[in-house]
Parts: sequence; structure tokens; C-alpha cells
Amino acid sequence: MRKAHRAASVIAAFCGSVFLLFLVAPIARLIGAGGVDGVQHLFTDGELRSALALTALTATSATALAILGGTPLAYLLERRRFRGRALLAAVIDLPLLIPHPVAGIALLLVLGRRSLVGGTLLDLGIRVVGSPLGIVCAMLFVAAPLYVSATREAFARVDVRYEAVARSLGDPAWRAFRRVTLPLSARGMIAAGVVVWARAVSEFGAIVILTYNPKVASVLSYDRFTSYGLDEALPVAAVLALLAFVPLFALRALNASRGMYAGMMQ
Amino acid sequence: MIEAQGLGARVGEFELRDVSFVVPEGKYGVVIGAAGSGKTTLLETIAGIIPLRGGVLKLNGLDMSGVAPERRDAGIVYQHGYLFPHLSVEENVRYGARDVPFADAIAKRIGATELYAREVRGLSGGERQLVAIARALAPKPRVLLLDEPFSALDPRRRTLVRREVRAIVRELGMTVLQVTHDFTEAGLLGDVAILLDQGRVLQSGPPERLFREPASPYIAEFLGAENVYAGVVRHLDDTVPDLADGAEELLARGHRAIEFKAGLLTLYTVGDAPAGEGHAVIRAEEVLISAAPQSSSARNQFKGVVSEVATTGALTRVTVEISGTPIIAALTTRSAQELVLREGSEVWASFKAMAVHLC
Repeated sequence: MRKAHRAASVIAAFCGSVFLLFLVAPIARLIGAGGVDGVQHLFTDGELRSALALTALTATSATALAILGGTPLAYLLERRRFRGRALLAAVIDLPLLIPHPVAGIALLLVLGRRSLVGGTLLDLGIRVVGSPLGIVCAMLFVAAPLYVSATREAFARVDVRYEAVARSLGDPAWRAFRRVTLPLSARGMIAAGVVVWARAVSEFGAIVILTYNPKVASVLSYDRFTSYGLDEALPVAAVLALLAFVPLFALRALNASRGMYAGMMQ
Repeated sequence: MIEAQGLGARVGEFELRDVSFVVPEGKYGVVIGAAGSGKTTLLETIAGIIPLRGGVLKLNGLDMSGVAPERRDAGIVYQHGYLFPHLSVEENVRYGARDVPFADAIAKRIGATELYAREVRGLSGGERQLVAIARALAPKPRVLLLDEPFSALDPRRRTLVRREVRAIVRELGMTVLQVTHDFTEAGLLGDVAILLDQGRVLQSGPPERLFREPASPYIAEFLGAENVYAGVVRHLDDTVPDLADGAEELLARGHRAIEFKAGLLTLYTVGDAPAGEGHAVIRAEEVLISAAPQSSSARNQFKGVVSEVATTGALTRVTVEISGTPIIAALTTRSAQELVLREGSEVWASFKAMAVHLC
């Protein structure tokens, strides 16, 4: 019996180690091979700097829009019971399930210059396809469902009775949300925002369909790879990988200080 | 004033059905019921947190259909307090207050100002309840809904805070509805008691009447009546025994002398219970124990043998077997000691005709 336990432990440890290696090795190799070169490129490669700046700007815009539109939606889905609630939740999750180039094509059909919306916007002087706005739309489409889902969870962790008490003390629904629910779920919402930002930065499939130029960092690395080969793509890819650590560290820091109200929210 | 007429509400599978009662303006109502009977749901329905599905709810004479919680002028205190953990104790107390000095004065009376310097996360359950009570009183609501607000306080503090809250709500003329499991608390505080079971009101009225005249044996047992007997009611039209103890007044008002047989036990009382099968309820504190027959007006006297003596602090419960039927009496421990009660002791158990309630 004891031997069987020991064998099972060894097998589990081996499987876990191989799996971990599979996850870590490519990124470690990428940063090892192109990290230093990539950081040096930041000083000399203007196109890389522009692509990174555009990536950060569009990802931040998409995150802001996800927060703006996703917060009320997440609240509605979490707090209210209404007919079609499950269907609405499923529809919001849909972009997570379809391949991202397909998402790009779907967006093109709605926002392209020959579509009703895209054509009207173009008439108003607002160009979506082939512009930073197109990048923001692509990022928002693929990343916003993550925000809605994570924010719903954050609201779910705040007992509805806190709001009930606030309202019995004279707060209308909006003020109770602002004074009680929002501060109590802020950490979860920030974490959701960080995830959305990271997902937006790493998006490629939908962006490449909607806006190839101007290039975001992911499109630039692909462009360098197809045009000049691995050596030219490597520094860009390594910088993108390093950029991915920023939200990762932010999330870890947030998690470390999380639980401030844990155990206090009955 | 709280007026509920045929109130209905639903939470998941649970339903409040046809709930009707009145707590007059400035009076203290208590809701009693087993866990899961719908007590908290009732408070939340009155507060507007759970929507009404039927019936009429009036607070201070105004129909509350479709009225938002913040417009009901009704404060609520939950058993767990639900203090806002991102705010200080002081900020919690002043959260809904329009008059900050008043809020602080209330907090001082309740004993919550001593906690102002503490963080919410460091408060005990009882301390949280103190702060939650002060927070709910601070905006001076006309209706106060309390869900077991004193349950986490130690006995001494509970008595003090209960008294202080009673005084404050009287001064401010608030109408209160409090959920409690504690029958003593219900008796001490309540002007009106409402007994809830599976989302329905089983009985409501002054607590004294609920305890003395329960509408059914289930209610009697729920309210802690120790002596509940199933038997047969017979009206004594021809031979009215000497019932004494004020029963004549009831007889004059049209009530009837009654003989109640439960096995070998025969009890006499006065009432308007119909003849046939029924139940008799006698509260343990109505039963007197003596070493010899009483020469008092107690109509029901029985010789029996003590089968159990259980002492809990100042009170002792004595079970006396009478012709195979147990009767429990509650007496002071001092009296029990004076009677030198032991298992097997022969004693007399007696109670007045008026102590027997038929339902």
C-alpha cells in the first residue's frame, strides 16, 4: 500500500514537472535568445517603439471601454433575475469560444466600409478598419467577455445584504452601489481589468483581419517573421513576452494584498 | 405602524403566504418562529429588499407597493451586523445619519462610541451588533426591523442593551418588529407577538395570550409549554363542580364548565372549547408542588410520585407521574430544596381550573 502511494507520488511529480517544463521552456528560451537584443532594439528600432506604444494605448482604451460597458452588464447579470438572463450571459461569452480570426471577420462584416455601421461611421469621418479604432474594437471584442465574467464574480463575493443595509439607511440604488458595492468589489474589478489589458496586448487574430496597419506589437512580430525570418522577429517577440510579465506581476501584487475584507463579508 | 394584510413574497423555493398582522404605531412587535420559518424574509419584505408578490403592506399608513427601500423610512439590523468593512466604526455609525451629533449620542448610549477607534475587522460578533444597532437608529427611522440583534451579546450586556434600545425607540416613537428565538425576550419586549411557521402566521396577539392561550398543541409545544395532553372534552351542563378561582365570571359570560379526560387523568376547567377530541395545555409555572393537599382554590389536585428533578440555576423542573401521566412543574430551586424533592418522593401537584387551556 505504502509502495503504491510512493509510486503514485513519483508519477504525479514527473507528470507535473514535464507539464511545467512545457509551459516555461518556450518563454524562457524566447527571452533568453532575444530578451537582451529586444531591450537594445527599444533604443534603436523606431517601428518597434511605435508598435509598443500603439499596443499599450489601444489595449488601455479597450480596457477602459470594457470597464465602462461591462460593469453595468456584469452587475445586471449578477444581481437581477430576469427572463433571458442565462441567454444574455451565453451571448456575452460567445467571443471567447470562436477562433479569433473568425471574430475579426465577423467584426469586418459589421464595421467594414461596405457595412451599414462602418459606412455610416466613415461618412461621419470615423474610420474603423485600418485604424487604431479598429484595433481597439478587435481587442474589446475578444477581451471584454473576460472582464464581464470576472467582474460578475467580484460582485458575487459582495453579499447583497450590504446594499440592502445601505438602502435602508437612505441610499438610492446607485449611491449604495457607489458607496458600498464598488469599494468592496474594486479589487476584483481591477484584477479583471488587468486580465483584459493583458489579453488585449496579446491579441493577434482579430486585429490582423481588421487593422494590419498601423501595426501593434503582435502584428509586427508576425510581419517580421514572415518578411525577414526568425532572427528579426525574435527581439520583438521577446519584448512582447516581457511586456506580458507586467500584468502578471500586477495581478500577483493584487492577490497578495487581497483578502483585506476576506472573512469580514458575511 | 406596520400593517400587513395577506402579504406574499418569494425567495427561491421559499414562500411567505397570506401573512397578516398589525403592530400599532410606537409599539414593539416580536416575530417568533423556528429556523427557516421565514422570519428574516418577512423583515426583508417589509424593508423592500424582497419584492411583494401579493397583499398589502402599509408603513405609517402609507401603501408600500412599489416604494423603494430608501423611501420607506425603515431601518434594518441583521443578526450578523453587515458592517461595511471598508469603513471605520465611526463611519459605519454615521453612514445614514443626517444629524451627526445625534448619531454619536445614540452610539454612546448603546456603547458603540467606545469602539470608534477600532477597526471593523477586529470587532467581535457582539460588538458588531452594537455598531449595527447604533447605525440603524442614527437616521431616526419611523420603523425599525431587527433580526436577532442581541443574539451575540453576553447575557449582562444583552440585558443592558435591550433595555436601552427599548428606551430609545420609546423616546423616538419608533415602531419596531424584532425577530427572536428567545421567548423570554419576546415576553419582555413585545407588545405584539407573531408566530411564524413555514411562511405563514400561526397566531398573533399579545405575547401573554400566545403563551397562555396557544391556538393549537403545535403552537403550545413550540412556545415551550411542557404539559400538552390529547384527550376528550365534555361539557358539564348538569353538575358544575366548584371551580372557584374566578371561573364564575367566565361562566356568567356564557362559558361552560368542562371536564377533560386524558387517559386516567381528569382535569376541570372553564371555556368555550367544543365537546369531543381536543388538547389541554398547562404551563409548568402554573403547577404547584406540595407535600400535602392544598387548601387553596386550585380545582385540580393530584397525588403523584416524583420521577425527575432537573435544576438549571434558579429554576427547577419537577416531573410528577400521576396515574401514568407526567405533569411537569417549574418552581424555584429554593422551593424545591425546601420540599426536599427526590425521585420517588410522594407529592401533590395542583393547578387552577383557569390554568388549563383547551385547544
